[in-house]
Amino acid sequence: MVTEFETKLLGFMMMIIMLGMGASLTWRDFLIAFRKPKGVIVGLVCQYGIMPALGFALAQALGLPPAIAVGLILMGCMPGGTTSNIFTYFSRGVLALSIMMTSVSTLVALGMVPATLAFYSGLAGYEGDYTIPAANVAQVLVVLLVPTLLGMVLRKVNPNAGATLELFGGIMGIAVIIFLVVTWIPRNHQLLLDTPLNVYLGAIGLGLVGMALGYGLARLLKQDPNRSRTIALETGIQNGPLAILIVTLSISGPRQQDVLLIPVLYSLFIVISSSIVTLFFRRASEREALARDRAKVGVLAS
Amino acid sequence: MNATDISTPHDAPWRAAYDMAGIAPELPPPTHANLAALVHDACSRYAQSAPKQAAFTCVVPNGMNGSLTFAQVDALSDAFAGYLRGVLGLQAGDRVAVQLPNCLAYPVVAFGVFKAGCVLVNTNPLYTEKEMVHQLQDAGVKALVVIDMFADKLPGVLQATGLKHVVLADVTAFFPAVPRAVVRAVQKVWNRVLPPVSVPHERLAHALKRGAATLAQTPARRYWECLGPGDLAALQYTGGTTGVSKGAMLTHSNLLHNVNQMLAMGSTHMQVGQECVLTALPLYHIFAFTANLMGFLVIGARNVLVPSPRPVQNLQRAVENYPITWMTGVNTLYNGLLNEEWFLAYPPKLLKASIAGGTALHQAVAERWREVTQTPIAEGYGLTETSPVVSFNPLSGTPRPGIGIPAPGTQVRLVNDAGDLVAADEPGEIQVKGPQVMPGYWGQAEETAKVLQDGWLATGDIAVMDREGFLRIVDRKKDMVLVSGFNVYPNEVEDAIAQLPSVLEVAVIGVPDEATSEAVRAYVVPNPDHAGKVSPQMVMAHCKKQLTAYKVPRQVIVCDDLPKSPIGKVLRKELRAQALAELGAPRA
Repeated sequence: MVTEFETKLLGFMMMIIMLGMGASLTWRDFLIAFRKPKGVIVGLVCQYGIMPALGFALAQALGLPPAIAVGLILMGCMPGGTTSNIFTYFSRGVLALSIMMTSVSTLVALGMVPATLAFYSGLAGYEGDYTIPAANVAQVLVVLLVPTLLGMVLRKVNPNAGATLELFGGIMGIAVIIFLVVTWIPRNHQLLLDTPLNVYLGAIGLGLVGMALGYGLARLLKQDPNRSRTIALETGIQNGPLAILIVTLSISGPRQQDVLLIPVLYSLFIVISSSIVTLFFRRASEREALARDRAKVGVLAS
Repeated sequence: MNATDISTPHDAPWRAAYDMAGIAPELPPPTHANLAALVHDACSRYAQSAPKQAAFTCVVPNGMNGSLTFAQVDALSDAFAGYLRGVLGLQAGDRVAVQLPNCLAYPVVAFGVFKAGCVLVNTNPLYTEKEMVHQLQDAGVKALVVIDMFADKLPGVLQATGLKHVVLADVTAFFPAVPRAVVRAVQKVWNRVLPPVSVPHERLAHALKRGAATLAQTPARRYWECLGPGDLAALQYTGGTTGVSKGAMLTHSNLLHNVNQMLAMGSTHMQVGQECVLTALPLYHIFAFTANLMGFLVIGARNVLVPSPRPVQNLQRAVENYPITWMTGVNTLYNGLLNEEWFLAYPPKLLKASIAGGTALHQAVAERWREVTQTPIAEGYGLTETSPVVSFNPLSGTPRPGIGIPAPGTQVRLVNDAGDLVAADEPGEIQVKGPQVMPGYWGQAEETAKVLQDGWLATGDIAVMDREGFLRIVDRKKDMVLVSGFNVYPNEVEDAIAQLPSVLEVAVIGVPDEATSEAVRAYVVPNPDHAGKVSPQMVMAHCKKQLTAYKVPRQVIVCDDLPKSPIGKVLRKELRAQALAELGAPRA
């Protein structure tokens, strides 16, 4: 269970995270990115095409009970998480692309999240108690859109404040996870021990399989390996804290615990799996850079 | 200096062009005896008329920024003069090396050096330890102001030179506290570019505090009042890529005159107090030093400093967030900007004009720049030895290719190898006489005699002058390629290849060839937007349509990038050395 105070604190932290994410870009950056929209479109297809379908498919394949499955589907429908930018940086990916994808998927979340959520919940045949009302989801997103847009304006008007907030928002993204570890795990360790394996598989699989599919699609659409790795991280890393916030604000009582299980587990495990993947990606980037350098010398020496 | 002989001679064929371009043909004499007085007057004048306006703004790539007003620049540079003279005990004429990228510390320190009556020794921050030692020793430097990012070279340098006084500055000097802390934290923890400093040093902020404290006793004015126009202002090192680096001695008169010459060139497109100039080229280089730092200060412009223009993306926030009206650059910078999506989508709306120098501006780049920005771009020509402006293309009127007409007060003549004047439209080496020509190289009488005779400076650049006095550079004397007895000028071939939209950058050199003595070789960097379209065959086919057969490159090498100097000049010398090494010939 999550107390009301914790929900409020989580909401406040989300505000800061969104403010920081908004401040990572200006409106003009979007207009420029959409002049060559292929990268952004690939990102959107991964985010709202692959991931929700993957959430649904995993829930079905693992035979999760509706109360838990709805959390997995919700998780699949979330926009990109801001921590993907940090992992992209460490994996020597294309930071600008990562920032752009996170921001675009967040801006269109207002329309896409309720729509995909309703579609896949319907497809699974969940009704009544086992749904998250689209209106609630939209409400939370509208509220979070305000700091996002505010951040974008701030970046333009006062770049000093904007860039500071961007950094602060990034740190807050990590702080939320730590907050979860510290407050949620000690009170729920028994629950973690009782949770069956297929729930863990869903929570971990969503991120890892998402990354693999994102990479595959990007390669298929002729993105270079480095951009593809960036798209992979971006696809697999969802905005976990946002899902937790939506659940705590829309569902109350004992049912909250069940629905919350996958978003919380996902948020914890995605940090671990992203770190491991980042190590692999970083090595690949370095290998490619080295090969390029060698080729350059070769060209001049031939 | 020959202060009386600065008017344009009446037989100069370019005189009529001044009238047509709306440029005053007579160069007004400098209004001040030295640069310190000029700086102080300009700062106090604009501090009164525009007390809140930023004189200098430094913008780092993420858009974080800091600014100094005219009053602050004046007061802080006074304090630095006080530090050099009152605290360190330096004397007038002592050399102070300044090794800073573009940042707010640069104007404070450079103006402070002038105000102290000392000599500014501009030093490239990217120099290796060996290069630093050579330059500091050659100039007999007494104090060094250096960026903290490169402090790791200091122990070796100090040991080799015996230098005692080191002041450390940082890129975010004078930024507001929070962005400064953020940038420094990122530099230290994230990017790890701040090495530990193991030598005795003083931080700039502390040096300024100590210096300011001495001003009550001795106002900074005392230090510069006695400076005359003939006194040495700067040692500007040159020739690092061609052999031993030599210090061109630039006097206060040289620089004061050249500032006026630069302003004469831009006068048709400049309004006092209304301009905002983008300074992406490094201020330690003579081009940006005279044009951006001094020239735009004199007209009360806001100067937007970008610490590093590479990658070109670094300029995005500076261009977006400030009302840029002017910019200076080199061919590679303009070309780079024209290949940036953000620049093409939103070219600076308020831009009035741009000037290019340092190296030949390719016609294709110039035309595209005019098309994208809807403003004129003019190529100028100059050398370190001439402070630097020698000639420029007028901004008004129909754009012409080439380096234009000599700056007011400058005499230019073209001579052949025998030393005779050449006829109009015939190629000859440019020789320059004028108030901006240096008196010589520091401590190098022999080298000086090689290039300076009777006040005429031999530039080593081959040009032609048409009947109206307009100059066009053909090439550097030493870059010329001799193919079966025919002269091929790399610039001409590069210009032809640069017309290909699929080519991002190009450099042309000559390589030894058994059949033709030398053969033309082109290095081509493909434009990523046209990936896979560039091949040696298509480049040669294109050249065959544009050029006489002997000028067509025999070898075309497709590569990822080209070696460049700190301001972005393509280093043909490096390419030649590489080519010779691979051909197994001894290095030239």
